[in-house]
Amino acid sequence: MSAMIPFHRVNVLTGIKSARLIEDAAEYANLIQKAKRPLWVLGPLLSEWALDGKLLIEYALEIAKAANIPICATAHVKGKMVELGVKPDSVYDAVEIVNALKDPDWRGVKKEGNHDLVIFFGIRSDLEEQCLSVLKHFAFNHLKTMTLDKYYFPHANYSLPNFRKDEQWKAFLEDLISELKKGG
Amino acid sequence: MAEVKALTKKQEEVRQLIKAEIPWEPVGPTPMPEIPDLRSWDMRLLKTYKPWYAPFCDLCCLCTYGKCDLTQGRRGACGLDIATQQARIILLACLMGCSAHAGHAGHILEFLIEKHGPDKKIDMGTFIELEAPNIRTVTGLKPETLGDLKTVIEYVYKEITYLLDSTHFGQEGSYLDYESKALHASMLDHVGMEVADIAQIVGFDFPTSVANTPMIDMGWEAVDKSKPVILLVGHNPATSCTLIDYLRENNLYDKVEVAGICCTALETTRYSDRAKIVGPLSRQLFFIRSGIADVIMTDEQCIRTDMPIEADKVSSRVIACLDKVMYGLEDATDWDTEEIVKQMVEDKKHFAILDPEKAAEVAAQVALKISPRRKKEWISEEEAKELAGKCTQCDMCERVCPNLLGLGKAMKDISEGNFDEPQKLFNKCIGCGKCDQECPQHIPILRVMQVVASKETWRIRAGRGAIMDTEIRNVGAPLTLGTIPGVLAFVGCSNYPDIDDVADMVYEFAKRKYIVVLTGCAAMVAGMKKFQDGKTVYELFPPDFDAGGVVNVGSCVSNAHITGAAIKIANIFAALPLRANYEVMADYVLNRVGACGVAWGAMSQKAASIGTGCNRLGVPVVLGPHSSKYRRLYLSRKEEDDWRVMDARKREIVDTGEPSPEHIAYVAETKEKAMVMIPKLCIRKNDTPQGRSIKLNHYISLYRKYMGGGLPEDLHLFVRRDADIPLVYKKEVRIHLKEIGWQPKEPVGLPTFIGTYPTKVPLEAVIH
Repeated sequence: MSAMIPFHRVNVLTGIKSARLIEDAAEYANLIQKAKRPLWVLGPLLSEWALDGKLLIEYALEIAKAANIPICATAHVKGKMVELGVKPDSVYDAVEIVNALKDPDWRGVKKEGNHDLVIFFGIRSDLEEQCLSVLKHFAFNHLKTMTLDKYYFPHANYSLPNFRKDEQWKAFLEDLISELKKGG
Repeated sequence: MAEVKALTKKQEEVRQLIKAEIPWEPVGPTPMPEIPDLRSWDMRLLKTYKPWYAPFCDLCCLCTYGKCDLTQGRRGACGLDIATQQARIILLACLMGCSAHAGHAGHILEFLIEKHGPDKKIDMGTFIELEAPNIRTVTGLKPETLGDLKTVIEYVYKEITYLLDSTHFGQEGSYLDYESKALHASMLDHVGMEVADIAQIVGFDFPTSVANTPMIDMGWEAVDKSKPVILLVGHNPATSCTLIDYLRENNLYDKVEVAGICCTALETTRYSDRAKIVGPLSRQLFFIRSGIADVIMTDEQCIRTDMPIEADKVSSRVIACLDKVMYGLEDATDWDTEEIVKQMVEDKKHFAILDPEKAAEVAAQVALKISPRRKKEWISEEEAKELAGKCTQCDMCERVCPNLLGLGKAMKDISEGNFDEPQKLFNKCIGCGKCDQECPQHIPILRVMQVVASKETWRIRAGRGAIMDTEIRNVGAPLTLGTIPGVLAFVGCSNYPDIDDVADMVYEFAKRKYIVVLTGCAAMVAGMKKFQDGKTVYELFPPDFDAGGVVNVGSCVSNAHITGAAIKIANIFAALPLRANYEVMADYVLNRVGACGVAWGAMSQKAASIGTGCNRLGVPVVLGPHSSKYRRLYLSRKEEDDWRVMDARKREIVDTGEPSPEHIAYVAETKEKAMVMIPKLCIRKNDTPQGRSIKLNHYISLYRKYMGGGLPEDLHLFVRRDADIPLVYKKEVRIHLKEIGWQPKEPVGLPTFIGTYPTKVPLEAVIH
């Protein structure tokens, strides 16, 4: 239980169960590597946000490659991914992929079974928090959720803190990539 | 036996109310339906389009047993689970929306019956014989007078009571039944809206049976601030129309400027094309804080609840004109006019005045007296820079912004004299003012933003009311066959990610020959962008309900004319009887009319009920990203769900495998995604090969434009035979279909849900 207040006040938790706050990239990498069938849900903001001139989508794709995680592209982010030479494993909008994920019998994007860890990245924060709420309430028996956005998301199982500075976020993402590479 | 007798008595009473003896059509199975009467239709809809719940709160705090934690399968002290609690909240939201419109309808009816008498005939003009499609379909009554409308609204009131009753502690325990009740409340909302707008059209002589309504000036710069300015905010035109009458009768109309915000603005301009529209709800606080309005007259719905406080800040005077919103003000309705004016002018007091004529007289006199003494100036660049310079980049403004806007950066830019980026940001501002109250430096952020607010003015066409029967006759065949690719209704409030989004979407689809209809704040923002030659969509596209037309139907209550148009297609074009025949109408619309609503900035409870009412009638709705906070969508899963329908011609159930329409209440993350989903949601199983090919042409080309090329991942689900493939993409699509092992399938001649679920409606009822 964390007392962290989310950056965007629209996401303030009205409840008891909130995300475990993790600041250590090695711990995040460990959780990802322990998952049997993780899924990477990548949103459209990744093609808009940049850290030191490098688009967030590039970080996301590096992580996906390092950890061999299948990708679900939401909204219109697919276009940028294709431009960067990566074809997503599936294309759904945020509410659609969440709708599928809450069904324990769904076969997943690889048709190998539903996913046990879903990592969200790059969806506008109020919508992302609502999507996390769906899974928190209706998929708690079969999957966990994680976020890589800059802010704290109470409805996730695992979340980053509110990074005050972009440098902190950048350092975390770079550490995560190297941890995943080590593990792989 | 006693129960059967009581029921018969009730049925007789209903038949009396709807004048069943008048044989304009046979009375269908559900006259004045009650909660259980359309439940089986709802359950059929909910089987394919399952509720998707995104709880906003993990707790229930509605009774003193609580707070109850509903996470991880827990139930509250009453036994309710989290899904049912969400459905209960949704029902409450839909009831709020429905009652807001029904209350509006009731008030306006009382006012107009007082003015014209209950026998005032309903005449919607030469080209509208089917005057009240929602009322006729739902209740079975063909309203002929204002008095008949009262019978209808009393039925709505009764149902609202029973529905609200079910939300009390320890009542309904099924989320599906709560959803059925929400669908019922929202269907009634369209009945209430229709009552309101028919009454207004008849009672105030608003435009009807005409497409080419006057063009109206819009934007704050359109308001002549050198004159006394009276600002009308809200929805109820009793206030505004009476004000216009007063000004005309007293030769003051040239001397006083009348402007409106939100739907009252649209209503006022249906009465007088000289009134000005300031803009949508998102511009309310911003305009009030400009101090341009000398007197603010409020009526009902979507008004700032701190209006007197905000008015005090700029020395404007407030008159609350309707009992729904009285702000704790002294009720001066029975006072002497001179005394009210004196206190408002000298003591800067605000009052509630519930007599529209007295309110109009007071507003005019106060405005004339105080205007010369008031300052109405925008902030100067120097002052804005100085104020913005106090910003310490603490981010508190961004943290509370509902649109998640980076206001700190904007303050920095403004303080340095860079206005371009802040100007773009202002276009995304929804105008709530939360940033102001949170700023530890007390920077009046909204006032500072005046320096980057657009000084442009725009032209919007005045609302025209119902779609004409003649127009329906012309477009019925191309619409149901698919050669006009769809009817799109842009409706709802102004809680959008960007003010330009609606105009961009309207432009894109009107250019592609969709019929575009608009209401409320969406109708206003569609006109707040200029395209080629500096023209708005209202100047670029014809005002007809036809391919490529852009039609401003009117205010929120005019939404009933949009669902009404869908019903008219079933009744006028397909010749299906509508009287008390809701299930047949809804089945026709869902399965055969390529219509799609877009509530991009939906925010209010009214928008929740308007949208849910569309859903019960079979019209899918695309919502903007904020709308996930409504907590509930209706989504299918295209690969897994049951897409069987009855082919009424062959009388057999067919597994089409075709998810059309795929969802009926859906949130798109971005405008780009909405651009792709909208054409897909216009696909219907009965499309002819030519029609399907046109629809797929738009789907593919928009996908390529906004999703970065390629073919839609689910394209194969919508191609029935080779003839469905658009010519321009034939080669590429054929290769793709071959690669994935696609097999052709027979189109369904007459698709219907009737016959696939338990219903009293016989299959013959849908064959025309």
